[in-house]
Amino acid sequence: MLADNFPQFRDGFLVTLGLVAVSFAIAVVVGTLIAALRVQPIRALRWIGTVYVEFFRNIPLLVLLFIAFAGLRRAGVNIGPFAAGTGSLGLYTAAYVAEAIRSGVFAVGQGQIEASLSMGFTYPQTLRKIVLPQAIRTVIPPLGNLTIAMIKNSAIIGVALGLAQDLLKEARIINSNTFQTNEVFFWAAVGYLIMTVSATLTVRRLEQRLVIRR
Amino acid sequence: MSYLVDPANWEWLGAGNNLRFILTGFLINIEIALLAMLLSLVFGLVLALMRISKRRAVSAPASLWIEVWRNLPLIFIILYLALAIPESWRDAYESSVPAWFPDAFQTPFFLAAVMGLTLYNSAVIAEIMRAGIVSLERGQGEAAAALGLPYWKSMRLIILPQGLRRMVPATVSQLITLNKDTTLVSIIGIQEVMRQARIVTNTSGSPFTGSGVDAPLLQVFLTVGLMFVLVNLLLSRLSTRLEIRERRKTGTEVEKVTGLEDQVAAEAQTR
Repeated sequence: MLADNFPQFRDGFLVTLGLVAVSFAIAVVVGTLIAALRVQPIRALRWIGTVYVEFFRNIPLLVLLFIAFAGLRRAGVNIGPFAAGTGSLGLYTAAYVAEAIRSGVFAVGQGQIEASLSMGFTYPQTLRKIVLPQAIRTVIPPLGNLTIAMIKNSAIIGVALGLAQDLLKEARIINSNTFQTNEVFFWAAVGYLIMTVSATLTVRRLEQRLVIRR
Repeated sequence: MSYLVDPANWEWLGAGNNLRFILTGFLINIEIALLAMLLSLVFGLVLALMRISKRRAVSAPASLWIEVWRNLPLIFIILYLALAIPESWRDAYESSVPAWFPDAFQTPFFLAAVMGLTLYNSAVIAEIMRAGIVSLERGQGEAAAALGLPYWKSMRLIILPQGLRRMVPATVSQLITLNKDTTLVSIIGIQEVMRQARIVTNTSGSPFTGSGVDAPLLQVFLTVGLMFVLVNLLLSRLSTRLEIRERRKTGTEVEKVTGLEDQVAAEAQTR
Protein backbone atom coordinates (compact mmCIF):
# COMPACT_ATOMS: atom_id res chain seq x y z
CA MET A 1 0.00 0.00 0.00
CA LEU A 2 2.60 2.52 1.11
CA ALA A 3 5.09 1.35 -1.49
CA ASP A 4 2.51 1.47 -4.29
CA ASN A 5 1.46 5.02 -3.59
CA PHE A 6 4.65 6.37 -2.09
CA PRO A 7 5.19 9.24 -4.59
CA GLN A 8 1.71 10.62 -3.85
CA PHE A 9 2.15 10.34 -0.08
CA ARG A 10 5.56 12.02 -0.35
CA ASP A 11 4.25 14.86 -2.51
CA GLY A 12 1.38 15.47 -0.10
CA PHE A 13 3.80 15.45 2.83
CA LEU A 14 6.01 18.03 1.11
CA VAL A 15 3.07 20.27 0.16
CA THR A 16 1.90 20.26 3.80
CA LEU A 17 5.44 21.20 4.91
CA GLY A 18 5.49 23.98 2.32
CA LEU A 19 2.13 25.36 3.44
CA VAL A 20 3.32 25.37 7.05
CA ALA A 21 6.68 27.00 6.22
CA VAL A 22 5.13 29.90 4.26
CA SER A 23 2.33 30.40 6.80
CA PHE A 24 4.89 30.37 9.61
CA ALA A 25 6.91 33.14 7.95
CA ILE A 26 3.77 35.26 7.51
CA ALA A 27 2.65 34.58 11.08
CA VAL A 28 5.99 35.59 12.62
CA VAL A 29 6.34 38.81 10.60
CA VAL A 30 2.74 39.97 11.05
CA GLY A 31 2.63 38.73 14.65
CA THR A 32 5.72 40.75 15.56
CA LEU A 33 4.22 43.88 13.98
CA ILE A 34 0.95 43.43 15.85
CA ALA A 35 2.80 42.82 19.11
CA ALA A 36 4.72 46.05 18.52
CA LEU A 37 1.42 47.88 17.92
CA ARG A 38 0.02 46.57 21.18
CA VAL A 39 2.77 48.13 23.31
CA GLN A 40 2.67 51.57 21.63
CA PRO A 41 1.93 54.59 23.82
CA ILE A 42 -0.60 55.90 21.27
CA ARG A 43 -4.02 54.55 22.12
CA ALA A 44 -5.35 54.31 18.53
CA LEU A 45 -2.43 52.06 17.52
CA ARG A 46 -2.93 49.84 20.56
CA TRP A 47 -6.60 49.59 19.66
CA ILE A 48 -5.81 48.41 16.13
CA GLY A 49 -3.58 45.69 17.59
CA THR A 50 -6.27 44.56 20.02
CA VAL A 51 -8.97 44.43 17.35
CA TYR A 52 -6.67 42.39 15.09
CA VAL A 53 -5.90 39.86 17.81
CA GLU A 54 -9.49 39.44 18.98
CA PHE A 55 -10.83 39.15 15.43
CA PHE A 56 -8.35 36.61 14.07
CA ARG A 57 -8.22 34.57 17.27
CA ASN A 58 -11.95 34.07 17.53
CA ILE A 59 -12.95 33.50 13.91
CA PRO A 60 -13.01 29.92 12.59
CA LEU A 61 -10.17 29.24 10.14
CA LEU A 62 -12.62 27.69 7.70
CA VAL A 63 -14.63 30.94 7.54
CA LEU A 64 -11.41 32.87 6.97
CA LEU A 65 -10.46 30.56 4.09
CA PHE A 66 -13.88 31.03 2.47
CA ILE A 67 -13.53 34.81 2.71
CA ALA A 68 -9.94 34.82 1.45
CA PHE A 69 -10.54 32.58 -1.56
CA ALA A 70 -14.13 32.42 -2.79
CA GLY A 71 -15.09 35.75 -1.20
CA LEU A 72 -12.23 37.74 -2.69
CA ARG A 73 -12.57 36.04 -6.08
CA ARG A 74 -16.25 36.92 -6.21
CA ALA A 75 -15.22 40.47 -5.36
CA GLY A 76 -12.93 40.53 -8.39
CA VAL A 77 -9.57 39.95 -6.67
CA ASN A 78 -7.68 37.28 -8.59
CA ILE A 79 -6.10 35.36 -5.70
CA GLY A 80 -4.68 31.84 -6.05
CA PRO A 81 -5.45 28.97 -3.67
CA PHE A 82 -1.91 28.76 -2.31
CA ALA A 83 -1.81 32.49 -1.50
CA ALA A 84 -5.31 32.43 -0.01
CA GLY A 85 -4.51 29.34 2.08
CA THR A 86 -1.15 30.39 3.47
CA GLY A 87 -2.35 33.98 3.89
CA SER A 88 -5.36 32.88 5.96
CA LEU A 89 -3.40 30.42 8.10
CA GLY A 90 -0.59 32.96 8.52
CA LEU A 91 -2.84 35.85 9.56
CA TYR A 92 -4.86 33.56 11.84
CA THR A 93 -1.76 32.29 13.65
CA ALA A 94 -0.24 35.79 13.74
CA ALA A 95 -2.82 36.75 16.37
CA TYR A 96 -1.51 34.01 18.66
CA VAL A 97 2.12 34.85 17.84
CA ALA A 98 1.47 38.48 18.80
CA GLU A 99 0.11 37.40 22.17
CA ALA A 100 3.07 35.08 22.77
CA ILE A 101 5.62 37.81 21.94
CA ARG A 102 3.82 40.39 24.03
CA SER A 103 3.75 38.20 27.12
CA GLY A 104 7.39 37.26 26.49
CA VAL A 105 8.48 40.90 26.44
CA PHE A 106 6.38 41.71 29.49
CA ALA A 107 7.91 38.76 31.34
CA VAL A 108 11.20 40.68 31.47
CA GLY A 109 10.94 42.79 34.60
CA GLN A 110 10.58 46.54 34.33
CA GLY A 111 13.31 46.81 36.99
CA GLN A 112 15.85 45.22 34.66
CA ILE A 113 15.11 47.76 31.96
CA GLU A 114 15.46 50.63 34.45
CA ALA A 115 18.66 49.15 35.82
CA SER A 116 20.10 48.78 32.34
CA LEU A 117 19.19 52.36 31.38
CA SER A 118 20.67 53.74 34.58
CA MET A 119 23.90 51.88 33.84
CA GLY A 120 24.22 53.92 30.68
CA PHE A 121 22.87 51.53 28.06
CA THR A 122 20.85 53.28 25.38
CA TYR A 123 17.25 52.12 24.83
CA PRO A 124 18.03 50.11 21.64
CA GLN A 125 21.00 48.53 23.43
CA THR A 126 18.79 47.61 26.35
CA LEU A 127 16.32 45.97 24.01
CA ARG A 128 19.00 44.06 22.14
CA LYS A 129 21.21 42.99 25.02
CA ILE A 130 18.86 42.69 28.00
CA VAL A 131 15.25 42.30 26.93
CA LEU A 132 15.35 40.25 23.71
CA PRO A 133 17.72 37.45 24.85
CA GLN A 134 15.38 36.78 27.75
CA ALA A 135 12.17 37.30 25.80
CA ILE A 136 13.25 34.76 23.15
CA ARG A 137 13.52 32.10 25.83
CA THR A 138 9.93 32.62 26.90
CA VAL A 139 8.65 32.89 23.33
CA ILE A 140 10.22 29.70 21.93
CA PRO A 141 7.92 27.14 23.61
CA PRO A 142 4.66 28.85 22.55
CA LEU A 143 6.04 29.42 19.03
CA GLY A 144 6.87 25.73 18.79
CA ASN A 145 3.40 24.78 19.93
CA LEU A 146 1.89 27.18 17.41
CA THR A 147 3.89 25.44 14.69
CA ILE A 148 2.37 22.12 15.76
CA ALA A 149 -1.11 23.68 15.69
CA MET A 150 -0.26 25.02 12.21
CA ILE A 151 0.69 21.59 10.89
CA LYS A 152 -2.72 20.36 12.00
CA ASN A 153 -4.61 23.43 10.78
CA SER A 154 -2.93 23.24 7.36
CA ALA A 155 -5.09 20.17 6.64
CA ILE A 156 -8.13 22.47 6.53
CA ILE A 157 -6.63 24.40 3.59
CA GLY A 158 -6.65 21.41 1.23
CA VAL A 159 -10.19 20.46 2.23
CA ALA A 160 -11.63 23.98 2.00
CA LEU A 161 -9.93 25.13 -1.20
CA GLY A 162 -9.74 21.81 -2.97
CA LEU A 163 -6.74 22.86 -5.02
CA ALA A 164 -3.87 22.57 -2.58
CA GLN A 165 -2.68 18.92 -2.81
CA ASP A 166 -1.58 18.44 0.78
CA LEU A 167 -1.18 15.16 2.65
CA LEU A 168 -4.86 14.84 3.59
CA LYS A 169 -5.97 15.65 0.03
CA GLU A 170 -3.58 13.07 -1.43
CA ALA A 171 -4.82 10.49 1.07
CA ARG A 172 -8.39 11.11 -0.02
CA ILE A 173 -7.41 10.75 -3.67
CA ILE A 174 -5.56 7.48 -3.01
CA ASN A 175 -8.54 6.29 -1.00
CA SER A 176 -10.99 6.97 -3.81
CA ASN A 177 -8.76 4.93 -6.14
CA THR A 178 -8.12 1.97 -3.83
CA PHE A 179 -11.00 1.96 -1.27
CA GLN A 180 -8.56 0.76 1.40
CA THR A 181 -9.66 3.45 3.82
CA ASN A 182 -8.05 2.11 6.99
CA GLU A 183 -4.67 1.53 5.42
CA VAL A 184 -4.57 4.83 3.52
CA PHE A 185 -5.52 6.88 6.55
CA PHE A 186 -3.13 4.91 8.75
CA TRP A 187 -0.15 5.91 6.59
CA ALA A 188 -1.35 9.50 6.27
CA ALA A 189 -1.69 9.59 10.08
CA VAL A 190 1.89 8.35 10.35
CA GLY A 191 2.91 11.23 8.08
CA TYR A 192 1.19 13.81 10.26
CA LEU A 193 2.53 12.24 13.45
CA ILE A 194 6.08 12.36 12.06
CA MET A 195 5.66 16.10 11.57
CA THR A 196 3.93 16.93 14.86
CA VAL A 197 6.01 14.65 17.08
CA SER A 198 9.32 15.76 15.60
CA ALA A 199 8.24 19.38 16.09
CA THR A 200 7.44 18.60 19.73
CA LEU A 201 10.85 17.01 20.27
CA THR A 202 12.66 19.91 18.59
CA VAL A 203 10.91 22.42 20.83
CA ARG A 204 11.76 20.39 23.91
CA ARG A 205 15.43 20.24 22.91
CA LEU A 206 15.58 23.98 22.16
CA GLU A 207 14.01 24.71 25.52
CA GLN A 208 16.60 22.63 27.33
CA ARG A 209 19.44 24.32 25.48
CA LEU A 210 18.10 27.81 26.12
CA VAL A 211 17.24 27.31 29.75
CA ILE A 212 18.91 29.89 31.96
CA ARG A 213 21.41 28.18 34.23
CA ARG A 214 21.95 29.87 37.55
CA MET B 1 -12.37 48.53 0.63
CA SER B 2 -15.24 50.34 -1.05
CA TYR B 3 -16.57 46.93 -2.12
CA LEU B 4 -16.55 45.86 1.51
CA VAL B 5 -18.52 48.79 2.90
CA ASP B 6 -20.75 49.48 -0.13
CA PRO B 7 -24.31 49.51 1.30
CA ALA B 8 -25.60 47.70 -1.82
CA ASN B 9 -23.49 44.71 -0.80
CA TRP B 10 -25.07 44.63 2.64
CA GLU B 11 -28.68 44.94 1.55
CA TRP B 12 -29.17 41.14 1.78
CA LEU B 13 -28.80 41.31 5.55
CA GLY B 14 -32.21 42.89 5.98
CA ALA B 15 -33.84 41.17 3.00
CA GLY B 16 -36.21 38.23 3.34
CA ASN B 17 -35.28 35.51 5.80
CA ASN B 18 -31.54 35.67 5.12
CA LEU B 19 -30.33 36.60 8.59
CA ARG B 20 -32.75 34.27 10.33
CA PHE B 21 -31.69 31.43 8.06
CA ILE B 22 -28.02 31.95 8.96
CA LEU B 23 -28.81 32.29 12.66
CA THR B 24 -30.67 28.96 12.75
CA GLY B 25 -27.52 27.39 11.28
CA PHE B 26 -25.36 29.10 13.88
CA LEU B 27 -27.60 27.73 16.63
CA ILE B 28 -26.85 24.21 15.34
CA ASN B 29 -23.12 24.94 15.74
CA ILE B 30 -23.68 26.05 19.32
CA GLU B 31 -25.66 22.89 20.04
CA ILE B 32 -22.99 20.66 18.51
CA ALA B 33 -20.36 22.54 20.52
CA LEU B 34 -22.28 22.05 23.78
CA LEU B 35 -22.73 18.33 23.17
CA ALA B 36 -19.09 17.80 22.19
CA MET B 37 -17.89 19.92 25.14
CA LEU B 38 -19.85 17.83 27.60
CA LEU B 39 -18.53 14.56 26.17
CA SER B 40 -14.96 15.89 25.93
CA LEU B 41 -14.93 17.04 29.55
CA VAL B 42 -16.19 13.66 30.80
CA PHE B 43 -13.84 11.55 28.65
CA GLY B 44 -11.01 14.04 29.21
CA LEU B 45 -11.24 13.59 32.97
CA VAL B 46 -11.30 9.79 32.65
CA LEU B 47 -8.25 9.84 30.34
CA ALA B 48 -6.37 12.24 32.65
CA LEU B 49 -7.01 10.01 35.67
CA MET B 50 -5.88 6.97 33.69
CA ARG B 51 -2.69 8.69 32.57
CA ILE B 52 -1.64 9.67 36.12
CA SER B 53 -2.33 6.16 37.40
CA LYS B 54 0.62 4.41 39.04
CA ARG B 55 -0.22 1.18 37.22
CA ARG B 56 1.68 1.13 33.94
CA ALA B 57 -0.90 -1.17 32.37
CA VAL B 58 -3.38 1.70 32.76
CA SER B 59 -1.19 4.75 32.17
CA ALA B 60 0.76 3.54 29.12
CA PRO B 61 -2.23 2.88 26.84
CA ALA B 62 -3.85 6.13 28.02
CA SER B 63 -0.67 8.08 27.15
CA LEU B 64 -0.47 6.54 23.69
CA TRP B 65 -4.17 7.18 23.06
CA ILE B 66 -3.90 10.84 24.10
CA GLU B 67 -0.71 11.52 22.13
CA VAL B 68 -2.06 9.99 18.92
CA TRP B 69 -5.40 11.80 18.90
CA ARG B 70 -4.17 15.20 19.93
CA ASN B 71 -1.36 15.18 17.37
CA LEU B 72 -3.59 14.50 14.35
CA PRO B 73 -5.51 17.22 12.50
CA LEU B 74 -9.15 17.30 13.63
CA ILE B 75 -10.43 17.49 10.06
CA PHE B 76 -8.39 14.38 9.26
CA ILE B 77 -10.10 12.50 12.12
CA ILE B 78 -13.58 13.66 11.07
CA LEU B 79 -13.08 12.72 7.41
CA TYR B 80 -11.63 9.35 8.36
CA LEU B 81 -14.55 8.53 10.66
CA ALA B 82 -17.07 9.59 8.02
CA LEU B 83 -15.49 7.07 5.65
CA ALA B 84 -14.70 4.33 8.15
CA ILE B 85 -17.67 4.10 10.52
CA PRO B 86 -19.55 0.92 9.53
CA GLU B 87 -22.99 1.36 8.04
CA SER B 88 -24.54 -0.72 10.82
CA TRP B 89 -23.39 1.87 13.38
CA ARG B 90 -24.86 4.67 11.32
CA ASP B 91 -28.17 2.83 11.01
CA ALA B 92 -28.20 2.08 14.72
CA TYR B 93 -27.60 5.75 15.44
CA GLU B 94 -30.27 6.91 13.02
CA SER B 95 -32.89 4.64 14.52
CA SER B 96 -32.06 5.46 18.14
CA VAL B 97 -31.58 9.25 18.02
CA PRO B 98 -34.37 11.01 19.95
CA ALA B 99 -36.94 12.64 17.66
CA TRP B 100 -36.78 15.96 19.51
CA PHE B 101 -33.13 16.44 18.50
CA PRO B 102 -32.66 19.06 15.73
CA ASP B 103 -32.80 17.88 12.10
CA ALA B 104 -29.06 18.29 11.63
CA PHE B 105 -28.53 15.76 14.46
CA GLN B 106 -30.67 13.15 12.69
CA THR B 107 -28.37 12.59 9.72
CA PRO B 108 -26.21 9.43 9.71
CA PHE B 109 -22.90 11.33 9.49
CA PHE B 110 -23.64 13.20 12.70
CA LEU B 111 -22.14 10.29 14.62
CA ALA B 112 -18.79 10.76 12.83
CA ALA B 113 -18.92 14.51 13.49
CA VAL B 114 -19.46 14.22 17.24
CA MET B 115 -17.08 11.28 17.63
CA GLY B 116 -14.35 13.21 15.81
CA LEU B 117 -14.81 16.36 17.87
CA THR B 118 -14.84 14.29 21.07
CA LEU B 119 -11.84 12.09 20.25
CA TYR B 120 -9.65 15.10 19.51
CA ASN B 121 -10.87 17.46 22.23
CA SER B 122 -11.03 14.89 25.03
CA ALA B 123 -7.35 14.10 24.35
CA VAL B 124 -6.41 17.79 24.52
CA ILE B 125 -8.54 18.44 27.61
CA ALA B 126 -7.07 15.34 29.30
CA GLU B 127 -3.62 16.90 28.93
CA ILE B 128 -4.84 20.22 30.34
CA MET B 129 -6.44 18.48 33.33
CA ARG B 130 -3.39 16.30 33.92
CA ALA B 131 -1.16 19.38 33.89
CA GLY B 132 -3.44 20.95 36.50
CA ILE B 133 -3.30 17.91 38.74
CA VAL B 134 0.46 17.43 38.37
CA SER B 135 1.11 21.11 39.11
CA LEU B 136 -0.25 20.70 42.65
CA GLU B 137 2.41 20.35 45.32
CA ARG B 138 3.04 16.71 46.17
CA GLY B 139 2.49 17.55 49.83
CA GLN B 140 -1.23 17.84 49.21
CA GLY B 141 -1.57 14.20 48.24
CA GLU B 142 0.88 13.08 50.92
CA ALA B 143 -0.99 14.99 53.62
CA ALA B 144 -4.27 13.44 52.51
CA ALA B 145 -2.69 9.98 52.63
CA ALA B 146 -1.19 10.70 56.07
CA LEU B 147 -4.66 11.62 57.31
CA GLY B 148 -5.81 8.19 56.20
CA LEU B 149 -7.81 9.18 53.13
CA PRO B 150 -7.94 6.44 50.51
CA TYR B 151 -6.74 7.26 46.96
CA TRP B 152 -10.11 7.99 45.38
CA LYS B 153 -11.32 10.01 48.34
CA SER B 154 -8.24 12.22 48.41
CA MET B 155 -8.55 12.58 44.63
CA ARG B 156 -12.17 13.67 44.88
CA LEU B 157 -11.91 15.90 47.95
CA ILE B 158 -8.37 17.32 47.81
CA ILE B 159 -6.60 16.96 44.48
CA LEU B 160 -9.26 17.40 41.79
CA PRO B 161 -11.01 20.49 43.21
CA GLN B 162 -7.70 22.35 43.42
CA GLY B 163 -6.05 20.96 40.31
CA LEU B 164 -8.99 21.47 37.98
CA ARG B 165 -9.69 24.96 39.28
CA ARG B 166 -6.23 26.02 38.16
CA MET B 167 -6.99 24.86 34.66
CA VAL B 168 -10.27 26.71 34.14
CA PRO B 169 -8.74 29.40 31.87
CA ALA B 170 -6.92 26.83 29.73
CA THR B 171 -10.04 24.68 29.47
CA VAL B 172 -12.16 27.64 28.41
CA SER B 173 -9.66 28.58 25.71
CA GLN B 174 -9.86 25.02 24.40
CA LEU B 175 -13.66 25.24 24.44
CA ILE B 176 -13.39 28.38 22.29
CA THR B 177 -11.27 26.39 19.84
CA LEU B 178 -13.86 23.62 19.91
CA ASN B 179 -16.58 26.15 19.16
CA LYS B 180 -14.68 27.37 16.08
CA ASP B 181 -13.98 23.79 15.01
CA THR B 182 -17.68 22.92 14.79
CA THR B 183 -17.63 24.59 11.35
CA LEU B 184 -15.51 21.65 10.12
CA VAL B 185 -18.45 19.24 10.31
CA SER B 186 -20.01 21.06 7.35
CA ILE B 187 -17.45 19.22 5.23
CA ILE B 188 -19.13 15.86 5.91
CA GLY B 189 -22.53 17.31 5.15
CA ILE B 190 -23.97 18.39 8.50
CA GLN B 191 -26.40 21.23 7.83
CA GLU B 192 -24.97 24.01 9.99
CA VAL B 193 -24.01 27.66 9.56
CA MET B 194 -21.43 27.22 6.77
CA ARG B 195 -23.95 25.38 4.61
CA GLN B 196 -26.82 27.72 5.45
CA ALA B 197 -24.62 30.70 4.54
CA ARG B 198 -23.66 29.01 1.28
CA ILE B 199 -27.33 28.58 0.45
CA VAL B 200 -27.95 32.27 1.13
CA THR B 201 -25.16 33.30 -1.24
CA ASN B 202 -26.39 30.93 -3.94
CA THR B 203 -30.10 31.62 -3.88
CA SER B 204 -30.65 35.14 -2.61
CA GLY B 205 -30.27 36.79 -6.02
CA SER B 206 -32.83 34.48 -7.59
CA PRO B 207 -36.36 35.85 -7.87
CA PHE B 208 -37.82 32.35 -7.30
CA THR B 209 -36.06 31.11 -4.18
CA GLY B 210 -34.36 34.06 -2.56
CA SER B 211 -34.97 37.55 -1.40
CA GLY B 212 -34.26 39.11 -4.78
CA VAL B 213 -31.18 40.92 -3.46
CA ASP B 214 -27.72 39.60 -4.24
CA ALA B 215 -25.79 38.33 -1.22
CA PRO B 216 -22.02 38.54 -1.88
CA LEU B 217 -19.98 35.67 -0.45
CA LEU B 218 -17.46 37.91 1.29
CA GLN B 219 -20.05 39.85 3.25
CA VAL B 220 -22.08 36.77 4.16
CA PHE B 221 -19.09 34.86 5.55
CA LEU B 222 -17.78 37.93 7.30
CA THR B 223 -21.13 38.07 9.11
CA VAL B 224 -20.81 34.40 10.05
CA GLY B 225 -17.27 35.02 11.29
CA LEU B 226 -18.40 37.95 13.44
CA MET B 227 -21.05 35.74 15.07
CA PHE B 228 -18.27 33.42 16.23
CA VAL B 229 -16.09 36.32 17.34
CA LEU B 230 -18.95 37.68 19.46
CA VAL B 231 -19.79 34.39 21.18
CA ASN B 232 -16.13 33.53 21.77
CA LEU B 233 -15.41 36.95 23.24
CA LEU B 234 -18.31 36.44 25.64
CA LEU B 235 -16.89 33.03 26.59
CA SER B 236 -13.44 34.42 27.34
CA ARG B 237 -14.94 37.34 29.26
CA LEU B 238 -16.84 34.80 31.36
CA SER B 239 -13.65 32.89 32.05
CA THR B 240 -11.88 36.05 33.25
CA ARG B 241 -14.83 36.80 35.54
CA LEU B 242 -14.72 33.30 37.00
CA GLU B 243 -11.00 33.64 37.57
CA ILE B 244 -11.33 36.91 39.45
CA ARG B 245 -14.14 35.54 41.60
CA GLU B 246 -12.14 32.43 42.46
CA ARG B 247 -9.14 34.51 43.39
CA ARG B 248 -11.24 36.64 45.70
CA LYS B 249 -12.91 33.62 47.28
CA THR B 250 -9.83 31.50 47.85
CA GLY B 251 -7.30 34.28 48.18
CA THR B 252 -4.91 32.42 45.90
CA GLU B 253 -3.52 33.13 42.49
CA VAL B 254 -5.14 31.07 39.78
CA GLU B 255 -2.54 29.56 37.47
CA LYS B 256 -2.59 31.88 34.47
CA VAL B 257 -2.25 29.97 31.24
CA THR B 258 -3.04 31.57 27.93
CA GLY B 259 -2.64 30.28 24.45
CA LEU B 260 -3.91 28.09 21.73
CA GLU B 261 -5.07 24.55 21.60
CA ASP B 262 -2.37 22.20 22.80
CA GLN B 263 -0.05 25.01 23.63
CA VAL B 264 -1.79 25.52 26.94
CA ALA B 265 -1.26 21.98 28.07
CA ALA B 266 2.36 21.89 27.03
CA GLU B 267 3.04 25.23 28.64
CA ALA B 268 1.52 24.24 31.95
CA GLN B 269 3.47 21.01 31.84
CA THR B 270 6.85 22.71 31.63
CA ARG B 271 6.10 24.96 34.57
